[in-house]
This record gives sequence, C-alpha cells and structure tokens, in this order.
Amino acid sequence: MKRRTWILSALGATGALVVGWGVMPPRSRLGKPAAMLPTQGEVALNGWIKIAQDGSVVLAMARSEMGQGVHTALAMLVAEELDVPLARVRLEQAGSDAIYGNVSMLLGSLPFHPLESEGGTKPAKVKVGEWVVSKLARELGINATGGSSSVADGWQPLRMAAATARASLIGAAAAQWKVPASEITVTAGRVQHASGPSAHYGELAPAAAASTPANVVPKDRKDWKLIGTAAPRSDLMAKVNGSAGFGLDVRLPDMLFAAVRMSPMLGGSVGSIDSKAALALPGVQQVVALDAAHGSSAGFAVVGQTTWHARQGAQAVVAQWQPRAQGALDTKAIAASLQSQLDRESGFTFFDQGDIEAAEKSAAKVLEASYTAPYLAHATMEPMNCTAQVKNGAVEIWAPTQIPSSARAAAAKAAGVDPDQVTVHVTLLGGGFGRRLEVDFVAQAVKVAMATAGKPVQLSWSREEDMGHDFYRPMHAARLKATVDAQGQVQSLRIKSAGDAISPRWMERAVPLLAGPVDMPDKTTSEGLFDLPYGFAHQQMAHVATNMGVPVGFWRSVGHSHNAFFSESFIDELAAATQKDPLEFRRSLLQAAPRYLAVLNLAASKAQWGSALPAGRARGIALHESFGSIVAEVAEVSLEGGMPRVHRVVCAIDCGTVVNPGIVAQQMEGAVVMGLTAALWGKIDIEGGVVQQSNFTNYPMLQLAHAPVVETHVITSERTPGGVGEPGLPPIAPAVSNALFALSGKRHRSLPLVA
Amino acid sequence: MNLTINGQAVQTDTPADMPLLWVLRDQLKLTGTKFGCGVAACGACTVLVDGQAVRSCVTLASHLLGKNIRTIESLGSAEQPHALQQAWIAEQVPQCGYCQSGMLMAAAALLERNPKPSDADIDAAMTNICRCGTYQRVRAAIHRAAGATQTALQPSPRQGVTA
Repeated sequence: MKRRTWILSALGATGALVVGWGVMPPRSRLGKPAAMLPTQGEVALNGWIKIAQDGSVVLAMARSEMGQGVHTALAMLVAEELDVPLARVRLEQAGSDAIYGNVSMLLGSLPFHPLESEGGTKPAKVKVGEWVVSKLARELGINATGGSSSVADGWQPLRMAAATARASLIGAAAAQWKVPASEITVTAGRVQHASGPSAHYGELAPAAAASTPANVVPKDRKDWKLIGTAAPRSDLMAKVNGSAGFGLDVRLPDMLFAAVRMSPMLGGSVGSIDSKAALALPGVQQVVALDAAHGSSAGFAVVGQTTWHARQGAQAVVAQWQPRAQGALDTKAIAASLQSQLDRESGFTFFDQGDIEAAEKSAAKVLEASYTAPYLAHATMEPMNCTAQVKNGAVEIWAPTQIPSSARAAAAKAAGVDPDQVTVHVTLLGGGFGRRLEVDFVAQAVKVAMATAGKPVQLSWSREEDMGHDFYRPMHAARLKATVDAQGQVQSLRIKSAGDAISPRWMERAVPLLAGPVDMPDKTTSEGLFDLPYGFAHQQMAHVATNMGVPVGFWRSVGHSHNAFFSESFIDELAAATQKDPLEFRRSLLQAAPRYLAVLNLAASKAQWGSALPAGRARGIALHESFGSIVAEVAEVSLEGGMPRVHRVVCAIDCGTVVNPGIVAQQMEGAVVMGLTAALWGKIDIEGGVVQQSNFTNYPMLQLAHAPVVETHVITSERTPGGVGEPGLPPIAPAVSNALFALSGKRHRSLPLVA
Repeated sequence: MNLTINGQAVQTDTPADMPLLWVLRDQLKLTGTKFGCGVAACGACTVLVDGQAVRSCVTLASHLLGKNIRTIESLGSAEQPHALQQAWIAEQVPQCGYCQSGMLMAAAALLERNPKPSDADIDAAMTNICRCGTYQRVRAAIHRAAGATQTALQPSPRQGVTA
C-alpha cells in the first residue's frame, strides 16, 4: 500500500469519529479546578494551577523527570506567565484527567516529510492528519513522557493556564481595589497598583477562583524574562545530597522487598520451580509465580526482608525453564532473515518523488551500499522496579514510569480492580530512554503485592534481569542506492530498509486501546530515511516491517538512532564518490532547506571545518532532523592503538524557541555520550533465546576518561519549540564513522564500530 | 553488627555475608547510596571507608567493623552544601541524578588524597558510569571544587541515619 492510500483509508476508518468530533464543542486543555488534588488552603484556578496561601504557585506536573530537565522547563513556562520567581513554583503530580494526555507525542507518529511543513502554511493533508490525531489524542488522554515532546506539548496549554490564572488574580485585585485591571502590575509574585494597594497571589486566590477569564493571550516573546534563559535546574540540590526520591528509594512502613527471576530464554515459560532451599534461607518469606504479561517473560518473584535477602532467595530457587514455543530466538538468524526479506519484499513506501526507475536506467554510475545496526539495551542506571500495596481492594503504586496512565491500567488489570481504585505515585526516574514507557514491572509488583497480605512490597530487578529482559532497540538493515549522471551529479536515492516495527508491539503491551487487528505502517521504522532534507530529484524510501519475536521498544531517538547512521554515512559515501568535500556536498543539496543549511553551517564554522588538525586527527560531519529539531555535529576523532577516540564534538541545533539553553546543552552532551557508547560498542546478541550480555562488564559504557568535550551552539528561532532530549543522538554515530573514513579510508557500514 | 556510619554508632541485624549497600539502603533507609550493577562495575554505590572510595555493593558490612563509613547523606546538607555539591550545582552536573551520589563520593575521596587533581588524575579516579553523560561537567565541577577546597573534608555527624 502506498503512503497516500494508507492515509486516506485511515481517514476513512476514522470518519465516523471525525463526524462525532465535528459536532462537539471545542475542548480546551485549560481543565477544571476539580482536576487538581484539593489541598487545605490551596485554591485551584484551573486544571494546572493552584495558588497556595503563601502566594506560591502549584503546578500539576504531568511529565516524568528522567534527567531531561522537564520539571524545570515546564515550571519555567508557568513562572514566566505568572511573573513569579521559578523557585515559587512547586510541583504536584498531575491526576488522571484527559487534559494531561500528551498530544504532541502522538502527533510525532504521523509520517509526513518535515520539509512539507517548513513554509508558512502546511499542506491540507498535513493539517487534516494533525487535526485527526490531535482529536484522538485529546480523547484518549495518554499521559506519557516520550518522543521529546514535553515542552512542545506543554507550550500552549501551560502558558494559557498560567496566563489565565494571572488574569483572574489581577481581576480579583481590580475588583477589590476598584481600579482598572490594566493599571495593575505584578513583580515577583507581588500584585500592586500605583495608588498604593498590593497583595500576593495567596491573598487574591479565593476571590480569583470565582471567575475564569476567556480569551487570555500569553505574553509576547519580547516581554519574556525567564523563557530563553539558562535558569538553574530546580531538582539538583536533592540530586547532590542523596535525598532525591527515585523508584528504588521508596520506603514505607512494614515494607517487604522482592527480587525477580524470569526465563533466561526470551519468551520462555516456567516449567517447574522448587522453592524449598530458598524458603529455608533466613529472611526469605515467599515465592510468587509471575505470568508473562505486558511483554515480559514468565518467571517468579521471591519476597524477603531486604532486597539482598530476596535476591539470595531468588538464586536459591531451582527453576526448570521451558523454551519459547515458537522456537529459540537468535540474532544471527534474525540478521540473515532481514537480508532475505530485503531480497524478497518491496515493503511499504514512505516516500516517493520523481521517477526513480527512470533515473536508475539512465545513470552514468550507480553506487550501492548495505548497512546494519544491532539490537541495543536501554540499561538505565536505575534498574526496573515498582513498589505496590494492595489493601482492601485498593491498589497504590510508586513507579518510576514514563507512562502513568498505562501503569494505572496495568496495575488495575493485575489486581482485577477498576482503574479508579488505583493510586499512582510517579517517582523520579533514574533514566528512562524509552524503557519506562513499558509497564511489565508494574504488573509484576502488583501481582506480588497481592500475595503479601496488605504489606507494601518493593519489587526490583537485578542488572542481569534488566539487561536480559529489556525491550530492545530492534536490529535494522538498509540497502541504499544512488545514481550519478554524466556530469557527476547525484540524481537519485533509493533506500529499502527492514526491521521490526516497534509501535504496534508497544501498543499491544502498553496501550491496548490503540492496538489494531493488523499492523499499520510504523513511522518509527523509516524515520531518518524517508524524511531527508537533501534535494535529490528522484527518491524512494520503503521499509519492510518485520516481527522477529524479540521484545522491541523505543530507545532514545528510536528509528533515527540507526537510520541516521545509514543515511548520513551513505551521504558521506556519495560525497567521496563524487570527489566533493562532505560539507560542500551537503550544502549543495540543501538549497530548498534553509533551516537545515543554517544548522550545518553553524556547526561547521564553530568546528573550524577545513582548518588544520593535529596529525592523526580527522573530522566527520553529520546532519539530521528528528522530533522537530535539526542537529548537526562535527566530531574530531583519532585512533589510539587502533581504537577510535573522539576528542571533541561540536553541535549546532535548531529546536525552535528555546526555553532553557542550559538544559539544551545538557541534553546534547548526554545524547552524544549515549549515542557514542552505542556507536562504539553497543550490541545485544541473542543465542538460543538467551541474551548474551548481562552487565556493564560485557555491555560496556563510555567513562569520563574517554568522554569527548561537547560544545553546543543554538540557533535563535521564533518557531514553536521542537524536541531536545533525543535529537542530539542520531548524528553522532555517522559523524564519528565519517571521521574514521576521513582518517583511515575505511568505511564502516555496520554498528558497533568496534566489533 | 556495630557499624560507624556518618560519625554515628549504628547497631544492625545484619548477616555476615550481606554487602554494605543493603545495610545502608534497606536496613538503615539511607537511600542516597544507589544500586546500579551489583558487581562493582558502575560505582553508583560508592561510599567512603576511612576516606577511601569503596563500592558498597561488593563490600561485606562485616568487614567494616571499627571503620568510619561515610555516605552521601553526610557530605553536606541543603543548608550547608559541601564544596563539591556547590560545584556540582554551579556546573549543573546532574541530569537524572541516579549515579551522582556515587560520583560525588568518588570525587570526595579523590580530593581528600589529592586536593588539586589534574585531568589525568580525574580520568583515573572517576570510573563511575553515567548513562546521562554528565562526565565533562563532573570534571569541571571537581576542578571548581578543588579551587575552593581549603581544608580537609570533615564528616558531618548524625546525617540521616534513621535506624
């Protein structure tokens, strides 16, 4: 099915819903005060903002803090509109109202070429697609943190909520003081009028709650004082003195601890378990069987006095495991299967422009290359865990989760109760990277808590279980083919890739409401291939979606993480094949993509592209758009004893309007290090169904001694904010690989670079 | 078992083969020290034992009798942060923050024996793993703190022990 056909049929299928929505009144995301948790002395002014008695602001926080600085960035939007210091904004976990659903994350799943929306007006098909998905997202209200979407999603609703709250507070002051609202000013949370009267927000809130002004407009950007500044993050004191509360730090009265062992063979089941030796150990209390649920492998949990007692018990259980019914998984076999499917299948065409067949027939020269990327584990520093208590038909969970709405549903399903009976506490996350968009560990914790007679239990995974039972970044392969005409100009680019589609599998596990009877084309498979900015006259990008059986999940920057390596390495190959400088070659192809060109030029100039380097060093460059932001990176690389050493990475980013440039720089640094670790060494091998890597000893991580210096340069922009958490990752692998080519003449076409 | 943790004598009901990490986290509720790998590979569990950085996930508590154990909870407080903690905030080091207790304790051990470490000294001492990639800011913060460190670090007494 071609892309256009698919979109039309998707629209047709949702036609009834569209008609239904069409007659509904528009639903704002301002929300009702009742959406917020009532707390003594605090006055809710809408679904996002409460005012405390001391005049401080309480913000309903619907996004999970996993290091990306979202708690600070979203609070900044609110502090800006309410004219309060950032420190006066306190966070309270958002409830379950649909206004807290993440609309922008779902919009990111639309397979439109980003260049189509570069101009002032979007094409009709983009508008319609976005309208339908926005409506759907608003109705579903999926509260999730992912897809680098948090600031983009909160940009309008949070500023509107804060601006509306401010207007009602000023309205209350105007009525009380009998002065025009337009003459009232707010400075650092102090409301005042030139004639003398002043009050803080806490004094005005009760009266302000009586009305919600309409047609409020957020501040003009020229009046911003906080947005655009590198305000210090608000979560750092707790993170340097040990008091920050991650999932594993939950401590409750009478709490028990549980350790998990799952079938070492992915998708395997429990044959038999002999718990006698385990239960004989001091401090070990019970063994609870765990069915496969939400994508997990079956296994058991052992409950003990401490995590250590529980883990001792788990090791003492004698388990016989049954292999996966459909046969043992094996990465070598999967790699071969991807190639044979690329031979056989034509795949789903995500992008088609010009006449690729004609271009290939008339070519003076054809260039072809085959690329691969392996499975990867997330390896968040905080392993999977969840604390649960099941008592009197009510379930309470404390979870480091990126998706509290699905965690609630999974907990309710595990306990056999209505979702209304589940209270979800979202803790800080010791890394997320997409792994915590899954809810397997939540269901496990609730199952165990149902067996502990009302006592809370903290279920946690060892590093070995975490690495052996991840939802892995899928293995992908791509074949790229370009043609060059007699004048040496590249005329066409054809890419066919193959690999598992993540989204349909994830929906089945985590958001069954969205899962369909058949897999729809998944944009994440082809993102970073079908959406390139380069002006080749003839292009065709297709993907063969597979389903190999390995649990696959969203891994920071998802399809872009491997596809940028494929596409930007091949672009470098084309430059070399046509005897052009890699920067000049890209520039020549970006005449219709000025935003991309500006980012590329900024990175190149800051990195002094073309200037001399110390002997034995070379530069590589890569450019990539993802999650609404464009990033270029220049890596300076040498070889030390044959091993790549990356010394410096210069990044340029256009992420639209910047809320906090300090956080942008942090995210670029973090993405470069994570992407470089993956590029150099990252791979998960599966043999006989068993993941071969088990810990940081055989799934190595970059350490400080080898971390490059990362510089970030941000383009000034007035566009709405794009993503920041992920876009820095995709360009690093090709930038380093391209530098290695410049250094040694050796072209790397498979990851990891150090085999 | 009698241990000295953050300057305080603590009595615990700890089996002889239990690593210190679990005494701290699960028995004493000193949760600032983190579990990351269980095999001394990541350093998230780093504490100080008589001033030396030790990975508590593989160090048996029963081997530490009579020794001075210090955890992140004693490094400083919100009111009186340690020079390293101040430097960490000035450099905006943490992202998710999970590995940072271990990073800070490893850095504290480094500065206690080497008040003005070079880049090479930092490279050698700081082998903790951070998935968020805070490494270069860690380096900058150690240099910053080294410039500000005047006297040897003193453990602050009675921080956060609840057992």
